[in-house]
Amino acid sequence: MKILSMSTATNNLSVALNDNNKIVAEKNEYDARNHSAHLDPLIAEILKENKLTLSEVDRFAVAIGPGSYTGLRIGVTTAKMFASILHKDVVGVSTLQALAASCEESGALIVAGIDARNDNYFAGAYVNSMTGSSPLCVIPDGHYHIDTLLSAIKEYYAKNNFPKIIFVGSGFEKQKENIKKLNVEFSFAEEKQNVVHAGLIGRLACKAEADDPDKLLPNYLRRTQAEIDWHKKTGKAYEPDNNYVEEV
Amino acid sequence: MTNKKDIRILAFESSCDETSTSVVKNGRVVESMIVATQIKSHQRFGGVVPEVASRHHIEVITQITNEALSKANATWQDIDAIAVTYGPGLVGALLIGVSAAKAASMATGIPLIGVDHIMGHIMAAQLKEEIVYPALALQVSGGHTEIVLLKDPTHFEIVGDTRDDAAGEAYDKIGRVLGVNYPAGKTIDEWAHQGQDTFDFPRAMIKEEDYDFSFSGLKSAFINTCHHAEQINQKLNKYDLAASFQAAVIDVLATKTIRAIKQYQPQTFIMGGGVAANHGLRDRMNSEIASLPQNLQPKVILPDLKLCGDNAAMIGAAAYNLYQEGKFADLTLDADPSLELPYASEMLK
Repeated sequence: MKILSMSTATNNLSVALNDNNKIVAEKNEYDARNHSAHLDPLIAEILKENKLTLSEVDRFAVAIGPGSYTGLRIGVTTAKMFASILHKDVVGVSTLQALAASCEESGALIVAGIDARNDNYFAGAYVNSMTGSSPLCVIPDGHYHIDTLLSAIKEYYAKNNFPKIIFVGSGFEKQKENIKKLNVEFSFAEEKQNVVHAGLIGRLACKAEADDPDKLLPNYLRRTQAEIDWHKKTGKAYEPDNNYVEEV
Repeated sequence: MTNKKDIRILAFESSCDETSTSVVKNGRVVESMIVATQIKSHQRFGGVVPEVASRHHIEVITQITNEALSKANATWQDIDAIAVTYGPGLVGALLIGVSAAKAASMATGIPLIGVDHIMGHIMAAQLKEEIVYPALALQVSGGHTEIVLLKDPTHFEIVGDTRDDAAGEAYDKIGRVLGVNYPAGKTIDEWAHQGQDTFDFPRAMIKEEDYDFSFSGLKSAFINTCHHAEQINQKLNKYDLAASFQAAVIDVLATKTIRAIKQYQPQTFIMGGGVAANHGLRDRMNSEIASLPQNLQPKVILPDLKLCGDNAAMIGAAAYNLYQEGKFADLTLDADPSLELPYASEMLK
């Protein structure tokens, strides 16, 4: 199975080609500022270098979040349009699971996160149960204040035995003093592990169930501020999003 | 035997709070048009929230692409070009259409055309009747108030522009004061027809030689009038308020546009944009032009009401003209939220 995968979730733009579990090629633009202008040309380039056409791809995979809202939408729109038009599979993969997958140490508790500013993180915790299998989520992906995240980790850690905790992603090093209070052995992942790699997304997507391209949406993990304020002010419940859009 | 082949364009539009797709034949015939509006969502907040808009666009983009094709009885094989609005507008919103159109172009090998949203609004007229050039357009919407000179189907120049608020923006702002939810234009237009111009609001820049507009003074005068009345417990007639506001807007738009028609002597006069659906403005422009000397009367094209608001059919119409000139985009096409038509040289002095 040939998989084309992409991540526009963070400032690292990444595309990859996988043949089942094997990463055939991966291209990254670190600190990229314009995913919209660069994503398609990068895809065209990787296909050309590997003598493939888009229609020969069996499955499209994309980081569905968390991450930059605008960034996520560029990747998800692209992947779902490809799948919808070419009648191929599409799979959305958690950005945090992909980050966790870069830490191959088995037995460790892996905390994957993206800095959401003001001591908040889009984060989740994963374990590598067996070599070669996808990291298993043990603390769900969510939008957490560092204190909430650390107490969830503490609680989980108390019930399970782990030799150490690895923090992967962005913005964790500034929390070093807070993390020390957990009183467990921990480390920070290496720099190349802290960026989202499309090749790992492809690998995770290889084993996942395909999504419906019409229904594939970014996993923002957070409502918009306008909605939160509206909800607080009016006390009204949120309706399903598609109730707000009407064809005229 | 050579057959002149029909050109079909599939167009995308997502610059603000409507997600739209359309198949347009030869820049003139709308074979399908899907418009998914988010008004109900943004009414919760009293105006368009950009992040909410972007989230809604991506929810419907694949479905409405397939719907536009199936309603036009077309497959990708029938499509000669894929067109998309790349600006101006809300950047996150524009990016859904741009990403979708580029992905579609890559997946099908069909060439891509980037379209200026304002050029699209003006080209809604082409879906009604043939435009004879040079033409002059009054483009009025929530984001723009411009007089545009059309030298030919793809070369447009702004000859007049608003210095502050757009006319449609002023409608929404005074609508809020009157308790009318966004978008307020339609209700204010209806109320205006039931009232009288009794407040005599200012007609800013009406006497100036240029073709520029200003609506923020009018908006302030309106709001001050309402606040003052509130303070002294006086109840004002909302129909007269609406009529007075609308009369001031239309007076300025009509006066300056007629002056521009006299100077540029276009073959065709066009209106475009959401405010082009305003009945008061349509009636006034028709009657003003009818009273010009015969030799100065341009042909008038007012787009169908359903094509005044944001839609992809108008983008398909404008894209056809660009297609004829071979003006294609490549995969680096990006959203440009502050894209502008060029200004006429006399505007730059």
